[in-house]
Amino acid sequence: MRTQKKLYLSILVIVAAFSFSGCKKFLDKDLQGTLTQQSFPVSASDALLATNATYESVREWAYNAGGFPIFDIMSDDARKGSNPNDAATTVGPYDTFTHTPTQDGLDRYWNALYVGVKRANVVIEKIPAISMDAALKTRYLAEVRFIRGLIYFDFVRSFGGVPLVTSTEPPLKLQRASAEDVYALIIEDLNFAADNLPLKSGYQGVDLGRATRGAAQALLARVYLFRHDYVNAEKYALEVINSNQYGLEPLFIDANGVDGNNGIESLFEVGAIQSEGTGSGGNQYANTQGVRGTPNRGWGFSRPTINLRNSYLAGDPRYKGTVINLKDTIDGVVILGDGSTPDITYDEQGNIIEIECYSRKVWVPGNNTITQWGHHRRLIRYADVLLMAAEALNENNKPADALIYLNEVRQRARQGNNNILPDITTLNQAELRDIIFNERRQELAMEGWRFWDLVRTGRAVQALGPLGFIAGKHELLPIPQSEIDISQGSLVQNPNW
Amino acid sequence: MNQYFFFVISYFHSRNIRIMANLYSFKRSFRIKTTGLMVLFFAGFFAISQAQVRTITGVVKASDTKETLPGATIVTKGTTTGSVTDIDGKYSISVKSDKTILVFSYVGYNTQEIELGNKTVVDVLLDPKKTTLDEFVVIGYGSVRKSDLSGSVGSVKSEDITKITALNPVQSLQGNVTGVQVTSTSGTPGDNPAVRIRGVGTFGNSNPIYVVDGVIVDDISFLNSNDITSMEVLKDASASAIYGSRGANGVIMVTTKMGKSTEEKTVFSFAGEVGIQKLAKKIDLLSGRDFAIVSNEIKPGSFNNVDAVANTDWQDLVFHTAPMYDFQLSASGSSKNMQFYISGGYFKQGGIIEKSSFERINLKLNNIYNLSKYVKLGNNITVAPYSQQVAPDVTYAVYRANPTLVPYYEDGSFAVVYNVGNPLANLAYSNNFNKGVRGVGNIYGEVNFLKAFNFKTSFGIDAGYNKSESFTPAFTVYNPDGTISQQQNLLSRLNKSSNYTFTWLWENTLNFKKDFGKHSIDAVAGYTMQNTTSEGVNLSGANLLRDGSSFWYIQPSYIYDPTNNVNTISSIGESVDLNQYYSMISFLFRVNYVFNKKYVLTATIRSDGSSKFSTNSRYATFPSFALAWNVSQEKFMQNISWLNKLKVRASWGKLGNDKIPYWDRYARVESNILAIFGVNGDPNTGASFGINGNPNLKWEVTTQTDIGLEFGLFDSRLTAEFDYYNKKTEDILILLSVPGYFGNGSGAKVRFNAASVVNRGYEFNLGWRDKVGKLKYNIGILGTTIHNEVLNIGGISGVDDALIGGYLGNGIPVTRSIVGLPIGSFYGYKTDGIFQNKAELDAYPHSSQAGVGDLRFVDVNEDGKIDGRDRTNIGSPIPKFIFGFNLGFEIYGIDLSVNVQGQTGNKIFNAKEVVRPDPYNFEAHVLNYWRGEGTSTTEPRPSFGGYNYTPSDRFIQDGSFLRIRNVVLGYSLPSAWSNKIFMQKIRLYVKADNLYTLTKFTGYTPEIGSGDVLSAGIDYGIYPITAVYSIGINLNF
Repeated sequence: MRTQKKLYLSILVIVAAFSFSGCKKFLDKDLQGTLTQQSFPVSASDALLATNATYESVREWAYNAGGFPIFDIMSDDARKGSNPNDAATTVGPYDTFTHTPTQDGLDRYWNALYVGVKRANVVIEKIPAISMDAALKTRYLAEVRFIRGLIYFDFVRSFGGVPLVTSTEPPLKLQRASAEDVYALIIEDLNFAADNLPLKSGYQGVDLGRATRGAAQALLARVYLFRHDYVNAEKYALEVINSNQYGLEPLFIDANGVDGNNGIESLFEVGAIQSEGTGSGGNQYANTQGVRGTPNRGWGFSRPTINLRNSYLAGDPRYKGTVINLKDTIDGVVILGDGSTPDITYDEQGNIIEIECYSRKVWVPGNNTITQWGHHRRLIRYADVLLMAAEALNENNKPADALIYLNEVRQRARQGNNNILPDITTLNQAELRDIIFNERRQELAMEGWRFWDLVRTGRAVQALGPLGFIAGKHELLPIPQSEIDISQGSLVQNPNW
Repeated sequence: MNQYFFFVISYFHSRNIRIMANLYSFKRSFRIKTTGLMVLFFAGFFAISQAQVRTITGVVKASDTKETLPGATIVTKGTTTGSVTDIDGKYSISVKSDKTILVFSYVGYNTQEIELGNKTVVDVLLDPKKTTLDEFVVIGYGSVRKSDLSGSVGSVKSEDITKITALNPVQSLQGNVTGVQVTSTSGTPGDNPAVRIRGVGTFGNSNPIYVVDGVIVDDISFLNSNDITSMEVLKDASASAIYGSRGANGVIMVTTKMGKSTEEKTVFSFAGEVGIQKLAKKIDLLSGRDFAIVSNEIKPGSFNNVDAVANTDWQDLVFHTAPMYDFQLSASGSSKNMQFYISGGYFKQGGIIEKSSFERINLKLNNIYNLSKYVKLGNNITVAPYSQQVAPDVTYAVYRANPTLVPYYEDGSFAVVYNVGNPLANLAYSNNFNKGVRGVGNIYGEVNFLKAFNFKTSFGIDAGYNKSESFTPAFTVYNPDGTISQQQNLLSRLNKSSNYTFTWLWENTLNFKKDFGKHSIDAVAGYTMQNTTSEGVNLSGANLLRDGSSFWYIQPSYIYDPTNNVNTISSIGESVDLNQYYSMISFLFRVNYVFNKKYVLTATIRSDGSSKFSTNSRYATFPSFALAWNVSQEKFMQNISWLNKLKVRASWGKLGNDKIPYWDRYARVESNILAIFGVNGDPNTGASFGINGNPNLKWEVTTQTDIGLEFGLFDSRLTAEFDYYNKKTEDILILLSVPGYFGNGSGAKVRFNAASVVNRGYEFNLGWRDKVGKLKYNIGILGTTIHNEVLNIGGISGVDDALIGGYLGNGIPVTRSIVGLPIGSFYGYKTDGIFQNKAELDAYPHSSQAGVGDLRFVDVNEDGKIDGRDRTNIGSPIPKFIFGFNLGFEIYGIDLSVNVQGQTGNKIFNAKEVVRPDPYNFEAHVLNYWRGEGTSTTEPRPSFGGYNYTPSDRFIQDGSFLRIRNVVLGYSLPSAWSNKIFMQKIRLYVKADNLYTLTKFTGYTPEIGSGDVLSAGIDYGIYPITAVYSIGINLNF
């Protein structure tokens, strides 16, 4: 009995001793399998990871104007697409300019752009402190400043002035900066990029797709064109042209097609692999616009309008390079289209208002959705640079020089058929302005530029007024209502919304 | 001991041998009454010296059952002389004078004294004790007499727990305990209900914790209702303070069964039940013809002949009846040094949607080993393997599917259902399984020393393993013209995940219990440690060799398909479960002091440390105090005969909450972000800042005050309990949307201590229990009022005065919590009729999308235009009053019970009706659409979506309901019959769950549960709950 008591007593003592020795360590639980922002980026390899991640932000589905190509849909180039009822109330209103601040996609677009800004800021803020190869460090910084400039340019075009975030820890209640301030940052970023990035030829083959000096200069040209600063636009466009880094693909379809991926015409494109998922390397941009039905390449949004179809002169190869019609055979695949979409849609008077067709610009050879995700979206291509140069030169009263670049584009479009698309010879500035403007449409249709070209040249009301465009309002998207709600009024809505 | 016993018996010269037979029952009744036996022993001694005796005989019976009481003691008052009754309740005792007073006593009955006079035969009826007075209530780390309880505790006993056929025993609390609201989040077999105690006190995880025989767990779905003795809900701060940080949302104590130390004969019980479930209610949707009519109105010419269209009732095609089974066999008993309870159970619930079901086996083993008078060991162990099949989310598709489309083509293949997909095809190609096992249990040792002390150490575990697998074969649903529809899966896909979680909990407590005259003290001090870890692996692959389940294993070849040159969504991943990775250390202390059985004082303090917070905010201390006054014990109350019980109590205390994912305080880096470079399109890995963390997170604290009044009238035939509670939660931990410019991405949220909320109200629980002739009956009415109000919202998040939530499928939020309104209040436009004509349209501010025949939104801020600023509060999802009725009758072995519950004052947002990017079917009310001036002021011209479907009060419905939740009719066979087949008890019953619901809500059920309090009361289109009709049997043998 005594020994038993002793035993119990000693157990009691041991238990008590253990219990009260509970140390602080027991409550330390580190983050498992994930780095914290305090511990990253700290090395040269971290710097590369952080730089790479910045590129991914432009492959996000929502980076593409919230997912659906609303800037083509808002232009006279495209209608909503898909079948008549699909997303009729979510995407449809952009087609008729009846969208509102709560319209589907606005908040996705806004948020996706800021994800890119944040990733760029991580590099800009943290990399300078890392001890690593100085040249590489500068290149990384220049790469992400190019992307930050690209994204803020998307922002300022789409929404006007926005909260200008330049650090990884922005203050609360940040208000909208003026569009001028946003442009100032864009130009600063792009100048830094242009000064510090290598030429395209300076990259190894495996690095093609990274930002280049040419891409930064081309983007500067585009920015200045939007600013109506034709002197600078001319300057940067010509720098690209004179760098001898770029040319036009012999075939128009290769300018956006797989055979031209990272090719001679490409200044900046979004690489993707044929995988159904953004996380695994795919780009849903093409899936969103891919042929609907048979073959099942996607959802079929953004359908070329009758107006666009009819704008091509007979025999212009760019028509076939822009529009996929039913019964076409492409890369051995017969296009049958979608059973729930009328082949032809008429209005009440019996006029044809829509024909079932799809964008050729996102076509990837294949007969399923997965392959479609491998499309490399071109954000800047050489034909655009040539046309920007032509436009700037014409505005700067150098029509003869303008014609050189304009005709270079037309010559490629001709693809050897000298019966079509003759060289332009006029030196009349106004006439040439219209011709270049129209050339941009023929060349760049369905690539997201038509709406902006109409807006920046003041032609939007004329072209889009019948569709519902109201001057002084629809040049910009509304600030997403959800962001205004969260900001509790520190964000002010755009005029007339 | 036994030799004394024989001595006593033999001394009393029992006249026949039957007294020997009686030995057995005697021993059983008095085994632990050592003192009683000693009394008898000495009585024997003294009796020897007596002379001139005469013998009194008689029978002792119970006054209520009129059955004889074998083993009752009879003692002559003032002496230790005594006797006991035999198996027939008969006794004989020798007395020396007429003035002798005989004292009759029996366990569980009131002692009765009878002056002998000249009687020689004295028959006695003993009254049963009112057990309510001596009822023990389980509280944390101990139990107290109900009269010594100073906190607010609700209780349900075994018989009520088993009334509801449900996977999760917690369902039985609904309508049985005041202040508790149990809502099914869906009818998916195996889903756990949402449990709310005294309103919604936090924005995050509002579920209470469960303490099963001392082991703290998050849910009790692993338990079989038949294994439970009682469930106690600790509601106020005083009762739950001993669980400190864990108790802010309430604590539910679950005590499982154990063999009684007094029974030597093993008792076997069998409970079996078979039921059938059916859809409790269909939603009134448009028929094919009506849909065609509305479609033609929206788009003339959509249907040439509305009488010639098909009419498919998708609800009938998808919802079926399904069976439900519940069986359980248990044995309990004790031997000299051991008590035990073992059981095995099987539960299976089919789903009313094909390809959904839940199946569970329970094995339970509870033991107590008395090693000596001072040392006790014990264990409570449950092992529960389960298997679940989960149907794809077709409820939404069924609600939306176009009724003019047919499910199959003539060749039997699946027909296309535009926009939503053919729900039957989705079901046919779905294979979603969860299989796993959960083991919960503890072993403990207790040492009693120095009479007043008890040290207990308990080591508990909660271990779970779950494997999920889902397989979709390659398939294509074709359009009528043979082209491919959007419902296609190109490559077969397999996803697998395994998850392992393990918790250990070590608790050491020291109890002190002693009475000093009129003072009695019951104190406990303790130290506990808990660690929870988890790990999960996810794999996915595609293009399997064959579709059969024997090929559902992921091989490297399923990652890439070289023949088709396609990459597939294939992934591997491994991580911890964010909610199952933490550790805690706690110190606890409680003292319960009672003076003279009248005044009770309880003080509790608990200090908790949680790994979920940074070092500087890791520990928090939670005190509580309570007072109770048993007024009925006072002298001045003794004359009021109709009032047999009156108690007043008050408590105040603080509790904490740390129910957040462990990583919320960390600012994380998102890795594995791919950039694609190079002519060949090569993936380059990247990493960058992910979501912002919040290193400043600290404990959420709830301060609760409770004032209660309990009374019993007319011999406790009428019992009543009233409580006022006021529960204020501050520094609420909540995930908030942060401004987009933080770069966290669409929909990303960050945790903050951002708000405070008050819940206050009254609870009442009235019971009447009586009998009329042979009819016993009871009536219970209980109710809770809830006033929920947001008191403030912190500015640290960038959100100064509103929390936005309740996001619909299209990303539009429909709840806004602001100061002065309940949490999760609905937010949208107010409507005021319909624009009847152009003049009216022009006269009012309106959206550019509005036309004649459309809803007129109210210009709330009167700025002359309709925009986002005109959205306003359009209702609360939180009921103002929750109530229940219980009725019970018993006569001639027949028992009937009815349980009714309901709530009022809440609204439901019918979200499934709002999100319509495509032309979906409509609810029937749409048929009354506006057809021209004056035709309708509520139902606008029809449209497939758009303006009229902007979130507004058009979609707000009254959420009040009254539900006959449960009706049970049983019959217990007379014991004479059951004894013949060696059964102690045989009871047969029929039962109906969710028999009828009175509600105006148009959806499947007005009980919309949600894990997210900012999305409460929003009907997103859930798996409907079912009505269950069952028959069952209970056997004891």
